[in-house]
Amino acid sequence: MARVHHDVLSVEWIKLELIRTAYATRGGLFAAMDPRAVVIWYIVLAIVPWFTHNITVLAGLFAIGVVSIVAARVGPLILGLFVLGMGMEVVYMSVAAWLFGGNIDTVIALAALNLKLGVVALASMAAFISLDPEKLSDALLAFRAPQMLAFGVSYGYRMLPILIEEFSTVFEGYRLRTAPPAKKGLLGWRVGVQWAKLAVLSFYPIFLNTAKSVRTTVEALETRGFTHGASNANGRRIRMAKLRIRPLDVIVIAATGVCIVIVFGIGATWPVYR
Amino acid sequence: MSDPVIVIENLSFRYPGADTDVLRNVNLTIERGDFVAIVGGNGAAKTTLCKSFNGLIPHYWSGEFAGSVTVDGVDTYTSSVSELSTKVGYVYQDFQNQLVRPTVRDDVAFGPINFGRASHAHDTEAALRSLGIAGIADRYIWQLSGGQAHLTALAGALALRPAVIIVDEPVAELDPARAEEIYERLAELNREHGVTVITIEHHAEFVARYARSVVLMAEGSPLWHLPIDEALARTDELEQHGIPAPQAVRAVRALGVDAAPRTPVEAAALLRDHGIRPDAVQPPERPDAIPGRIVARVEKLTHGYKAVGGNVTSVLAGLDTTLRSGERIALVGGNGAGKSTLLKLLAGIIVAREGEVTVDGRSTRAVSAREMAVTAAYLAQHPQLMFLKGSVRDDVALFPRSHRVADTDAIVERVLDRVGLTPLAERDGRTLSGGQQRRATLGIGLAMRPRLLLLDEPTSSLDTQSRDDVTTMLAELADSIECTVVATHDMQLVAEWASRVLVLEGGQVLADVTPRELFANAELLERVRLRPPQIAVLGRELGLDPVPLSVGEFVAAAHASRAELEVA
Repeated sequence: MARVHHDVLSVEWIKLELIRTAYATRGGLFAAMDPRAVVIWYIVLAIVPWFTHNITVLAGLFAIGVVSIVAARVGPLILGLFVLGMGMEVVYMSVAAWLFGGNIDTVIALAALNLKLGVVALASMAAFISLDPEKLSDALLAFRAPQMLAFGVSYGYRMLPILIEEFSTVFEGYRLRTAPPAKKGLLGWRVGVQWAKLAVLSFYPIFLNTAKSVRTTVEALETRGFTHGASNANGRRIRMAKLRIRPLDVIVIAATGVCIVIVFGIGATWPVYR
Repeated sequence: MSDPVIVIENLSFRYPGADTDVLRNVNLTIERGDFVAIVGGNGAAKTTLCKSFNGLIPHYWSGEFAGSVTVDGVDTYTSSVSELSTKVGYVYQDFQNQLVRPTVRDDVAFGPINFGRASHAHDTEAALRSLGIAGIADRYIWQLSGGQAHLTALAGALALRPAVIIVDEPVAELDPARAEEIYERLAELNREHGVTVITIEHHAEFVARYARSVVLMAEGSPLWHLPIDEALARTDELEQHGIPAPQAVRAVRALGVDAAPRTPVEAAALLRDHGIRPDAVQPPERPDAIPGRIVARVEKLTHGYKAVGGNVTSVLAGLDTTLRSGERIALVGGNGAGKSTLLKLLAGIIVAREGEVTVDGRSTRAVSAREMAVTAAYLAQHPQLMFLKGSVRDDVALFPRSHRVADTDAIVERVLDRVGLTPLAERDGRTLSGGQQRRATLGIGLAMRPRLLLLDEPTSSLDTQSRDDVTTMLAELADSIECTVVATHDMQLVAEWASRVLVLEGGQVLADVTPRELFANAELLERVRLRPPQIAVLGRELGLDPVPLSVGEFVAAAHASRAELEVA
C-alpha cells in the first residue's frame, strides 16, 4: 500500500487540534465573553443537572449543551472523543446490566446518570475551549484563586504545544530506531503493543529534558518579579482592570437562565421518571 | 569622569556543597554605557559572575559569599533579586525557558505587572518597539522563531527599564544571521538609550565587531579587562583560553601586520597594498571528480504544512535533485526554506503531498519509515531529543540491538571509539557538553550504518572549538557513509566540509554550486541572507577569484604572490 500524505487523522492533525482547542483559535460565542462570565455560566450548567431525576429536564439541558458547543465551535477531535466516550459508556452499561442480570430498567436508570454527566461534559467543553490561557488565568485570579494556581494554569498552556512537539519527535525517534516486531500477530496486535510501549517509554527523555529546562524558568521567574507580585496587590489589580462585563455576557447568562427555567417547566408538564 | 555602574570588590563565591570557590577574589569595574564582552574557556565561571550582578548569587544560590558587589549604587548583598531585577536584565542562554506567558505582549508585560507599575502598558510597548517586535506582539510563544523568541526575552528584561542588560551567549541557540540581528539591537540600545550591555560570548567575530571592552575570565577570576583594540591584539592569549581570533585577524597577523581589524573590510584595507594576485588562490584538486552512483533521486517534490488557521503553508514547490555517492552536500537557505522538511522526506519519515523520493532504488512511498531508517538515518537538530536511553552506550546500541545485527557489541565499541566517547559511554547524554552531545548523536547515526546520513544543523549552538571538532569528524566519516547531507546555517562548515551546496529558496533549488562558487557570488548570498566566512569576504574585498575558503589557503596565496614579485 503506497504511503500518502494525510491532512486529517494524522499525528500532525492531532497536534494542531490540541493547540486550536487550548488556544481557542476558532473563536465562537464564549470566546468573545468576559472570562468571569464564562466561568459563572459553566458553574450554573454544571450544577443544575444534579437537582433533578426528571429525564425530560435532563434531555432539555442536554439540548442546551449541544447548542452551546455549536456556538463555541468545538473542534472535531474533542467532539469525536466525546461522542466515542458516550458511545462506549452506553455499550459498557448494556453489557454490565446484562451480565449482572439487570433489565432494560437498569439501563435506563444508568442512562439518567449518563445524561447528567453528558450535560456537564458539554458545558465544560464549551467553556474551556473558549478560554485561552490568559483569560482562564485572569478568571482564576478574579475568583481569588491562589496566584500560584492561576500562573500554573497559564504556564501549563504555554508548555503544552512544546511538550506535544517534543513528544512526537521523541516517539518518532524511538519508532525509527527500533525494529518492528518480526510477526505482526492477529490484526497487528504485536505492533500495537510495541507502539504503546514506546509511547510510555517516550516520557522518560521528556521528563528529564523538562526537569533540566525548568531550572532556568524558576530563576527567570525570580528575576521577573514573580514572588514580588505574589505579595503585592498592585499586580492583581492591573490584571483585573482589563476585564469588563459587557451586555453580551449578561444576555448569554440571562438567556441560559431562561432556557433552564423553560426546560424545567416542560419537565413539570411532561415528566418522565424512572 | 568615571561613572561605574557595577563595582565588584574582592568577590569570592562557592556553591553549596562544592569543595572549591568558583569565583576567586574578583575585582572588576564596569562603566556606565559600556558594551562589555565576557570571554573565557568552559568552566571559567562567566555565567556565575553574571549571576552575581542581579543578586541570584547570593540570594537564590546561597553559597559562601565574600566581598561586595554594587550595582547602580545598590549593594547586592543587602538587596533582593526582585529589587535588583529592575536594575539588571538577564537573558539566558536557553532563553526559550524564560518565556512564561502564552503571548508575546503578555510575556513582556509580566515583569512590569508583577511590580505593579502604573506605567506597565507604556513600558511594555516601549520595549516591544525598541526591539522592532511590536508587529508580533499578539503571537503565541510557540509560534515564534528562535530569533523572535530571543528578542521577546530581551524585551521582557528591557520592560523593567534596567540600567544593565546581560545576554548569555546569544549565538548559542541562534543562527549567525539572527545573532547578528540581536547584536545590532543591543548596539542600538547601548548607543541610543545608554544601556550598559554585557554579553558572554565565545565567538570572537562578534566580540570584535560590537564590544567596546573585553573581560577575559580564567579559573574564576578576570585575567584582564581591556579596551577592545588592546584585547584583540592579544590573540595568543585569547586562543589559549579557547577563543580563536576571527579569521580576518588571523589572516592579517599571519602576513606580519601587527593590527587587529574588527571586520573583513578593515582587514582588506590593511592588505590592499600587499600585491596579492587576483588568481593567486590555488584550490586543491578534488579527487572525487567522477560522479558516483545515484543514492537518492528527488522528483517534483511538493510539500506544505497545515497551519493552526487551517490554511496550508507551502514549503517545497516542485523540487528536483539527484544525490550521488561520494558527495558531501550542504543544504542552505533562510529559515522556513524547507531544509528540515527535505531531510525528513529523504529519510522517509514523512511523505510529500506530491512528487517522488527514491532512495537506493526504492520509493519512500513503497516502504514504511521504519524500514527506510535502515538505509537513510536522520539526526534531529536537538541532541537531547535523541537521547532515549540512560546512557550514551545504550543509545548507540538501540538500533543495531533491536535489529539483531550480528556483532552489535563490536559495532558499538567501534562507533564509540570513533566519536571519542568511550570514556563517557556510561553517562546520560544530557549531562554531556554541547560538543560531546553532537558527537554522541553522530555515533547514534553511525551505528545505524546508513547509506545516506541526514543531519539537521550539526554544528549549531557549539563554541568554536567543539564546532571544529564536529567538522573534522564529519570529514572523517566520508569512508563509511555513501552520501551525507547537512542542513546548516554555518557557512564555515560549508566552506571546510561540503563538496556541493544546494541553495533552497521558494521551495526549489535556487542554486546548485560548489562552496567556492557560492562565496564568490555576492548577489546570491545577499538574496538568501547568508553570511559567508570572514576569509571569503576578505578574499572578495581584495578581488580574489577564486576566493579562499580557509586562512591557510589565503596565506599561501599571499606568499605565492610575494615570491613571484621577488622573482620579477
